[in-house]
Amino acid sequence: MEKIAAKVREVAKQALASGAVTKILGWETGEFWYDASPVFITDEKAADSLIWDAFCVTNLSKYLIKELKTTQKIGVFLKGCDSLAFNQLLKDHRIDQEQVVIYGLPCPGMIDPEKVKKAGLHQGLLKVKRSGDELTFVTANGEKKVSSRSFDYDKCLRCRYPNPVVYQELIGEEIVRETSNEDRFADVSALENLSPEERYDYWTKQFSKCLRCNACRNVCPACSCEKCVFDNVAAGISGKATVDSEEQFFHIIRAYHVAGRCVDCGECSRVCPVGIPLHKLNHKIMKDMNELYGTYEAGVDGADKSPLVTYTLDDTDPFDGHRQGEK
Amino acid sequence: MSVEATKAVSEIKSEFAPLIVAFCCNWCSYAGADLAGTSRLNYTANVRIIRVPCSCRVNPYFVLRAFQRGADGVVIAGCHPGDCHYSTGNYFTRRRFSVFTNLLEYLGIEKDRFKVDWISAAEGNKFASVMNELLEKVHQLGPNRKLRDSRWKR
Repeated sequence: MEKIAAKVREVAKQALASGAVTKILGWETGEFWYDASPVFITDEKAADSLIWDAFCVTNLSKYLIKELKTTQKIGVFLKGCDSLAFNQLLKDHRIDQEQVVIYGLPCPGMIDPEKVKKAGLHQGLLKVKRSGDELTFVTANGEKKVSSRSFDYDKCLRCRYPNPVVYQELIGEEIVRETSNEDRFADVSALENLSPEERYDYWTKQFSKCLRCNACRNVCPACSCEKCVFDNVAAGISGKATVDSEEQFFHIIRAYHVAGRCVDCGECSRVCPVGIPLHKLNHKIMKDMNELYGTYEAGVDGADKSPLVTYTLDDTDPFDGHRQGEK
Repeated sequence: MSVEATKAVSEIKSEFAPLIVAFCCNWCSYAGADLAGTSRLNYTANVRIIRVPCSCRVNPYFVLRAFQRGADGVVIAGCHPGDCHYSTGNYFTRRRFSVFTNLLEYLGIEKDRFKVDWISAAEGNKFASVMNELLEKVHQLGPNRKLRDSRWKR
């Protein structure tokens, strides 16, 4: 990954020097060992701070919406899942392709700091290096090598698009990886098999942790409305009380709002400070839409329509099982 | 109010009288409800009808709000597919609420409390029977406590 990181800096410098773009959006080192924060760079000297390591998980596509309003031409580094989000934003007319130069980064998977902490490897950690599927934890006392698969984010283990689906220039070589045979919706099926009471308890417990910090909303690339229903005070939609029903309301509506636009990047669950598995709601909607209306994947194809904004005459009709008064 | 009278009132209140909220499309189901009325059909008085221009005007949060504010059952009634006044509205309703019903079920809310049905302007009978059927189901399930706002007293 270090080689690619060097190339990232080189590409950024060149692009800024040649005037191809006026701004570069990438990642830089944050405060902690697991931090890789998004950064905007306009000066080519500052391009040296750009990084590409095992923690560049933040989806950069969402930042484009706001930035493109004031910037003419921007260069951005996108991973596989970010590029799906980018495609979806294009489809929703939130951004203009002409204003963006995409540098694609084939992504080997990102490391989940929580999993590292759980394994106790974060004590005195100085640096984490990655080459292929091998991770090296560098501490003051020496180095430790492990396989990366046990530290990858869950979403990365399920990932089917390690390579960007849209880019102008690909940095590094395409990654060939067997897509896992694991059922993509295994987490949903597990919940579906519970009784309604158990499901209700599960979700109420999860939702009751909610702080209404709106992190899930802010980070989601599918959540791109200029004015959110939850901000519309006059409509009385958003209750601020911390009662179960308000939290249920918020999360059901949030998940349903991004139905058909969710690209399964898993950012909502990642940023949740209290660890609500929000992607499980989105997964359920995705699973149902696939089962009822044929395979659809947001962001993969720029032309197909989300199942909920279109219809066919012979859709399945779960509602016509009426006993009397048949038409 | 005398002590006896207060007691009597509270006894009546303790009996479960379900509240059913029906979102009826202006062109078919609302006229269907009208027909049920003018035909003097007997159907439950626990239904509160909210008239909407089209069944696809119903936003999922209408449904959730209804449940929050005391409804025990919610019906969305629209024209039969193919008969929509706006040509295509109910096709969207069908897709949206198929997915939404599944989502509610996934969250552990009884599927029987929520219903989408197609009732034409000529189907006063069907309107009455849909409402009565839902009432029966809600009676079996008991009061809805799952989505209800705990601050909401009724």
